[in-house]
Amino acid sequence: MSSKKWLVLFCATVLFLGAAVLGFNWLVDPYGVFSHKTLEWASYEMTLNPRTAKMTYLEEHHQEYDSYLLGCSSTSSFPVESLNEYLDASFYNMIMYGADMLDVEEQAVYLLEHYEVKNLVVNVYLDNAKDYNTLPDPLRSYTMPAQTTGESSAAFLAKYLFMDPRHSLDKLTAWYEDTYLPQSFDVFDAETGAYDKSARDAEAIGDMDAYLESYPVFANYPEATNSTNEEAISGTLDALAHIRDLCEEKGVNFLVLCAPVYADYLDYYDWDQVADFYTRLAEVTPYWDFSYSSVSFEPRYFYDETHFRNCVGEMALARVFGDDSIYIPEDFGVYVTQDNVQAHLEDMAQAAPLAEESYTANVPVLMYHHIDEEGNDDVNISSELFEAQMAALAEEGYTAVFPDDLAAYVYEGKALPDKPVVITFDDGYLSNYEYAWPILEKYGMKATIFVIGSTIGNTEHYKDTDYPITPHFSYEQGAEMVASGVISIQSHTYDMHQWAPYEDSDQPRENILALEGESEEDYRSLLSADCQKIRQVIQEGMGEASVHVMAYPSGQFDTLSQVTLLENGFDITFTTQVGSNTLIKGQPQSLLGLHRYNMNESVSVEQMLEWVSPARG
Amino acid sequence: MSFTTLPFLLLVGLSVVVYYLLPQRVQWMALLAASMVFYCVGGGRTVVYVFYTAATVYAAGRVLGHYNELRRAAPKEEKKAITAKYKPYRRAVVLVACLANFVLLYVLKYWNFTADLLQPLADALSPGSQIPLSELVLPLGISFFMFQSVGYVIDVYRDKYQPEKNFAKLLLFVSFFPQMVQGPISRFDQLAPQLLAGRKVDYTDLKYGIQLAMWGYFKKMVIADRAAVLVNTVLDDPWSHSGSIIAVGVLFYCIQLYGDFSGGIDITRGVARMFGIDLAENFRRPLFSTSLADFWRRWHITLGAWMRDYVFYPLSLSKPFGKLGKFTRRHIKGKLGKIIPTSLATFIIYFIIGIWHGANWRYVAFGFWNGTIITVSLLLAPQFLRWKEALHINDQSKGWHLFQLVRTNILVFFGRYITRAPRFLTAVWMVKETFLHPNLPDLYNGTLLTLGLAGSDFAILFCGVVTMLAVEWYQEKRGHIRPMLERRSPLVQWLAILLPLVVLFCFGVLRADYISSDFIYKQF
Repeated sequence: MSSKKWLVLFCATVLFLGAAVLGFNWLVDPYGVFSHKTLEWASYEMTLNPRTAKMTYLEEHHQEYDSYLLGCSSTSSFPVESLNEYLDASFYNMIMYGADMLDVEEQAVYLLEHYEVKNLVVNVYLDNAKDYNTLPDPLRSYTMPAQTTGESSAAFLAKYLFMDPRHSLDKLTAWYEDTYLPQSFDVFDAETGAYDKSARDAEAIGDMDAYLESYPVFANYPEATNSTNEEAISGTLDALAHIRDLCEEKGVNFLVLCAPVYADYLDYYDWDQVADFYTRLAEVTPYWDFSYSSVSFEPRYFYDETHFRNCVGEMALARVFGDDSIYIPEDFGVYVTQDNVQAHLEDMAQAAPLAEESYTANVPVLMYHHIDEEGNDDVNISSELFEAQMAALAEEGYTAVFPDDLAAYVYEGKALPDKPVVITFDDGYLSNYEYAWPILEKYGMKATIFVIGSTIGNTEHYKDTDYPITPHFSYEQGAEMVASGVISIQSHTYDMHQWAPYEDSDQPRENILALEGESEEDYRSLLSADCQKIRQVIQEGMGEASVHVMAYPSGQFDTLSQVTLLENGFDITFTTQVGSNTLIKGQPQSLLGLHRYNMNESVSVEQMLEWVSPARG
Repeated sequence: MSFTTLPFLLLVGLSVVVYYLLPQRVQWMALLAASMVFYCVGGGRTVVYVFYTAATVYAAGRVLGHYNELRRAAPKEEKKAITAKYKPYRRAVVLVACLANFVLLYVLKYWNFTADLLQPLADALSPGSQIPLSELVLPLGISFFMFQSVGYVIDVYRDKYQPEKNFAKLLLFVSFFPQMVQGPISRFDQLAPQLLAGRKVDYTDLKYGIQLAMWGYFKKMVIADRAAVLVNTVLDDPWSHSGSIIAVGVLFYCIQLYGDFSGGIDITRGVARMFGIDLAENFRRPLFSTSLADFWRRWHITLGAWMRDYVFYPLSLSKPFGKLGKFTRRHIKGKLGKIIPTSLATFIIYFIIGIWHGANWRYVAFGFWNGTIITVSLLLAPQFLRWKEALHINDQSKGWHLFQLVRTNILVFFGRYITRAPRFLTAVWMVKETFLHPNLPDLYNGTLLTLGLAGSDFAILFCGVVTMLAVEWYQEKRGHIRPMLERRSPLVQWLAILLPLVVLFCFGVLRADYISSDFIYKQF
């Protein structure tokens, strides 16, 4: 080969390789900065850089939204669904992690100038008094898109074209590893713009000790000294004033919220500095202040040391919009203006945790199955013993409650009776109808029966097989019990508690978990269909008003199943794990994975009374 | 402007294109322009030092040239008288030019070191006084361009060649951009004609230049930059590591230093070759050295040659050394008496080479280490010969050759303890640790993987070093690789383009410090 040919070949190879790398970056576009949509995956792109990817997303979708929620990561927990309802609007949550007020200002100016905007809500976090104009990483988190900064868009795009192609490769790998639940690489829900907290919001929360064990950060809060600084405060306030003026000029409804701050975090600031910041904020604009109240002291209202939970956001918005249908701690949220700011700060300085018993409750749950005259099985109990137990509960002043009563306590803050107890039966045996119902009625008790849809009314054989079965009560019998007001019928799934030896399938469904090798999509649609079916048959066949409670078959569950159940409206779930339960007002996750005491012939009346005793909580 | 940046590649590409597009008469101006751009981007305002050096040696060269002319023009019978008449002037001029440069070099590079040494004295004489420190920025490549320029003045003084009359052309000789980072130190009579000559495009030059530069980039980016991660982890904080890990750190430092320096020189020579310019070789496979003296003939060759021509010879031939030679020959019998002056000069040279590397006690110690070993082996050479005969060692055998290689590399290895340790005393401590507290299990219990390099990096490094050794071994034994490649099929030749480019990109350009997207947002 001549040297000339070699040189041509060399140049061609360099150009080819260069073009391949640039083309790869352009095509995969992990930061979502190029306008093509070939391999679009908005939630991934937003995770890498919410600042750029959200702008790209809105370029395409801004007609679907008319209102925006802006701010740092804690902004995510003000649910846009609630805002939409309260303001009859269509909100997009612009949260950018680590956002300072300069980022927010740049974003707000762009939105106001380019899109139709009805409402603009800005979240001011305490850290806005500390950081302003944080230096950006060249590609990632802190880089704002060219359209908001005025940087040359060619130079901006060149950065992403010439970047390390491993950024693009990562996106493809993540694509391969993607699951329905959010992972570290796709933490955003592209359609609302908020963090996808579906998995975190599906975990059971109750007892404080267990919570601190799962989240040790609250037990050993990291040491820090935070300090506000004048540059950050004046930068933040100027930016807010600018946004305020622009909103006024354009006739846009402008609302400022101050996010709840965890008490230990706020303690690392000097109180006078904090007070100074909130005082000066009131000079710029009135605001709803949620930053420091009894909520700040309850770790179960926080995801981590700086982020409050979605349920807290619900309470905050309810306070702002005067919605008294849900529970809100009295000291949570004050509308602050220049006139009341000093008084408010004085109150705020006195913020303290609420008395535990004023917002949490210990509720024991008893789990029965079949009532058998023999009473010799570890899940069976004789009617004599059952009656003795009910008599004892009545005698000791216990009041049986339905799961709905627990929900009313958690969601609305409605009081529970003095000594509440939840009595449950699994599977839907005929013996529940024949023996338990009359006894319950006799002692003024109430119970919840979790029926398996596919075996309702099976008195002799398991489904349509020849295998013998312990008789199950019928729809009519169920309806009779529901009508009495003594019994609530809820779900033990329609057909996901199969009895393996009697099923033809190689992989019988003994519980609600996915089968081995089953695709996530198939599994989720099957579980959803099962949820709809059982709800339908109970409501239509037995006249139960609302079916939203489930006892997990065999007590088995995982995050994906729990998330799917929540999506299908099952917001109260029971396990077979033994123990008491702590319900927390305003924290719906305390209704998940409730523990139960397994009742059978070996449980004496004394034993039961000891279990349900409030002292155990 | 580092060799490994995109702007450097763009500068090279652009200047090659402009160079060959220009009329041959003015092609050198493209080189000068590129050099000025390179220096201004890389060295900023320190470009004034380049002008300073160029101006002093230009002026000195012109004056010395004038005296040389006068002498040449003189009739035969007057030549001697004229030579004698101008000798003091010529000496004064060369001395002034040398001082003008070395004093500046001293102030910029060594003053703070001296000031630190003198401070206790100042304290004693006048308590509380502070010797002022220099805050001047050390200009890019000063040790290279200054030595190269002083060499020019001395050569003109010696009337080896005519001085350059055009200042811009001399400025190009002083500042030719590929050599500004790591040398080599070129000679005027070899480099200047090449810089100033006009050329048609020579595709073979371009091809060889690109190939050599790619090989340099491979050594620099794939090998040296990777090894540097471990070196920095271990040797910036040797106190946290066991003796064996320190030894591994020094071994990796040897790899890093060689990869970086020889790789840099290959890039320099490759780039120069693209302009049709052959720069002096600076490394000749030093790993295959049979003695420490041989090592210094193969490592940083142009520095050694400079020292030989401008320090060693003048020193050996100087009057004091002549007197010393006479004295030793008279009082010490045998060969020893003859070689003492040479040994002393050798020792002085290595001392200067040590200091050349930087202003620090450990470089002084490094000079001593090399100077002592080489001088001692020079002095003991006759004794060694007798031992070899007594032990019936065949010094032509492969085994003996291997022994020499291993011995030399071990000596070099321990020399590196001195140059890389934070302080000289730390180096002594590090050697002690290596022998007294090696904690050998650290070599296989996973500790190596905690030093900043992943298992894959060790694998890449291993393959890289093996490739480098294989190529050097082939060159040492058989000769050039390129002719061998050129006989292969076009496909193989293309693969020899593609593969290195892919390797360079994947293992060199893509940095090990990349943070995968998994780590961005952990808490969700």
